[in-house]
Amino acid sequence: MDDHDPPVLMAVSSSARQLYLLLRCIAFSPKAHVQIDEGGLRLSVDEAGVMEASVLLDKSMFTTYTFNAPSPSRGSQVADSDDDEDEELEPSTTAPTFQISLPALVETLQIFGLTDPATSKTSWQQNTSYGAPSTSFASSNIFGGMNNLCRITYSILGAPLSVVLTEASIRTQCDLTTYEPEYTGGILFNREDLALKVIMRGSRFHDAVQELSSTSPETLTMIAKTAKGKPFFALSSSGTLGSARVEFNNTPRQPSVYRTPAPTNRAAANADGNGTPADQPLENLLETFLFSDPGTVLRSKYNFSRIQKATRAMSVATKVSIRIDAQGVLCLSFMIEVEGGGSGVAASTAAAAAGEGSPKHSFVDFWFVPQLDEDEDGDDGEGGDIDETMMQSGGEGSDMGEDEDDDILS
Amino acid sequence: MRFKASIQNVSTFTRLTASLNSLGRLAWVKLTEEQVCFTIIPDQGTQVWAVLAIDSIFETITVQSAADNVINLEVPLALLHRALKSALHATSAQIRLTKKDNVPVLALTIVMAASANTHRAFDAPFDDFGGGSRETMVTHEIAVRVLSPEAVAHLHEPATREPDVYINLPSLMQLKSISDRFTKLALADTKPSTASTASRTRLEVAANMHGCLKLSIKSDAMSMSSTWTGLTNPELDPGHISGGAESIAGLPSTRMKQLGSADGRSDEGWSSVRIDGLDWGKVMSVGRLGGRVIACFCHEHALILYVYLSNNNGDDESVLTYYISSYSA
Repeated sequence: MDDHDPPVLMAVSSSARQLYLLLRCIAFSPKAHVQIDEGGLRLSVDEAGVMEASVLLDKSMFTTYTFNAPSPSRGSQVADSDDDEDEELEPSTTAPTFQISLPALVETLQIFGLTDPATSKTSWQQNTSYGAPSTSFASSNIFGGMNNLCRITYSILGAPLSVVLTEASIRTQCDLTTYEPEYTGGILFNREDLALKVIMRGSRFHDAVQELSSTSPETLTMIAKTAKGKPFFALSSSGTLGSARVEFNNTPRQPSVYRTPAPTNRAAANADGNGTPADQPLENLLETFLFSDPGTVLRSKYNFSRIQKATRAMSVATKVSIRIDAQGVLCLSFMIEVEGGGSGVAASTAAAAAGEGSPKHSFVDFWFVPQLDEDEDGDDGEGGDIDETMMQSGGEGSDMGEDEDDDILS
Repeated sequence: MRFKASIQNVSTFTRLTASLNSLGRLAWVKLTEEQVCFTIIPDQGTQVWAVLAIDSIFETITVQSAADNVINLEVPLALLHRALKSALHATSAQIRLTKKDNVPVLALTIVMAASANTHRAFDAPFDDFGGGSRETMVTHEIAVRVLSPEAVAHLHEPATREPDVYINLPSLMQLKSISDRFTKLALADTKPSTASTASRTRLEVAANMHGCLKLSIKSDAMSMSSTWTGLTNPELDPGHISGGAESIAGLPSTRMKQLGSADGRSDEGWSSVRIDGLDWGKVMSVGRLGGRVIACFCHEHALILYVYLSNNNGDDESVLTYYISSYSA
């Protein structure tokens, strides 16, 4: 009787590579939670409850996306057809949740590039899989996304999640065992009560983290403050081999003078940000800098190796949003350009109109719980003082030579 | 006992030794003036019986011995391969059997154009000093063991029953990349303690008589399979079958033709073997030679691969035969 029910999920993508490149960003854990609903597939992984990452495979990435919510009142509908399978599942959830092996899924999606004989000779696949990944999704898709289809099916609750890849004369099917979801409380991140929000280019953040990683540090400290009306943001690492710091500050321009004192409420900050759109995106390292309490210095510590697990996402992201809430919980959101679901094959077909080849954005989010081996985040005087001086002397002088001149002039 | 030959196709020879070297350390090399045979019989894993036409690797060859002009040698493949690699850019390469300190050695002599290695600043000021010869000669000596005819008399190719399915394989490099991925997945998938490595990298390879090939692997977390369709099943030549055309009708493969379908979705008509993924990956490395490959499946018994290397003239083919026995379930 199950055959007569429509499958819970039936999604077809013409570019497995897009899915692969997104999933790879969070592929640091052996298991992933999958949640399916009308909007898409959300895959999330966590590590020891102190780090979480999640990516949404939006339905727009698929050429076909059909979701049939399994009946919430299972007792009435399913009891006669299929009783033992569904009993233990939470009856109130309409969005099915389960765990799968993430490496298996990622490797399956990757089979595409390998089986294409035209590309098997070139070295691009090695580069993109293991080396420094290219930031351009679209160009690699020329090789990887041709003439192939990826179908993801989840027929009924408890069934395996099956991924079928069809390419030329090869058909690969992977049935991923679905496991009961583990209860995870999830990291509570209060997006309404932010202490800091910084948006910058993904490559800049990536470069900074890469730079700091050379001393294999243990902790990464994020430092933010407002000095003379100018935003300061710094990443500082420390470990047994020493410490290092990368500082970002915006070129002080005419408009930023008017920003002093930095606004305390976000509405004002937004207005201010919008007021200077002309030169800001090009000139400033920090595209957005919202700091709730400009009178203090925010310092928040995180485990460096955990932050590094987001390296793949950093390296392909066009922009990164760094948010720290009042509790010190860090949320890194990476904006990654992907092509629409129709773009793979569709570039030459009728569906091209739908895809239009224009890049869309997907987001990969990471959450980190802060390390609290010290006093609270920088509202104390003592530690703040040290940083203050480093910021003053180092921040203004060292970051960019011409900045200093500007400073003096203004 | 004399053996001397000039190598005409160093790159083929190098790729051959590389792929053989991955399967076994020592090769039994049987030299005659008609053909060269490389045989590898490892303790465990895949046997290789390769028969090469002389002109696929050698140009001129002299083989003389007391035993019907046949020389049997035991050659360490790694050393031979390393020596050949250095000959890749040689203008000419020769191999001969000599003795050094009473130990038989294969001497590989490589002649290289010296100008390529010389910096202009160090050009010999007197060109006539070296007699005008601007070449470098390198000789590799590989200690080998000469095998008596009696020592190899008991070595025979494995006997297998008539195959159930024979099929032309797709590009081995493509097959290898997929099977390597399967193997890697199976190894990465679960904790190391749950099962021994060998049983987890067990691949199932199956084919039918309708041009389908299937590669699959199972583990706790997933089951994965790749299916090729549209391959060809070579026709048997009645001239080569004892009993002629009527006995073809009685062959298992003829019966298998009745079963299964060309889209690979039917469960019937498959002949399958279970093999070790790591070993299979090594076998697939012969794909570098780029020949046509026919696989013969004896259901749950063995898989035999015939790798054909076409010569320059295209007809008289050399063939490498791989015998892979199936693991039980």
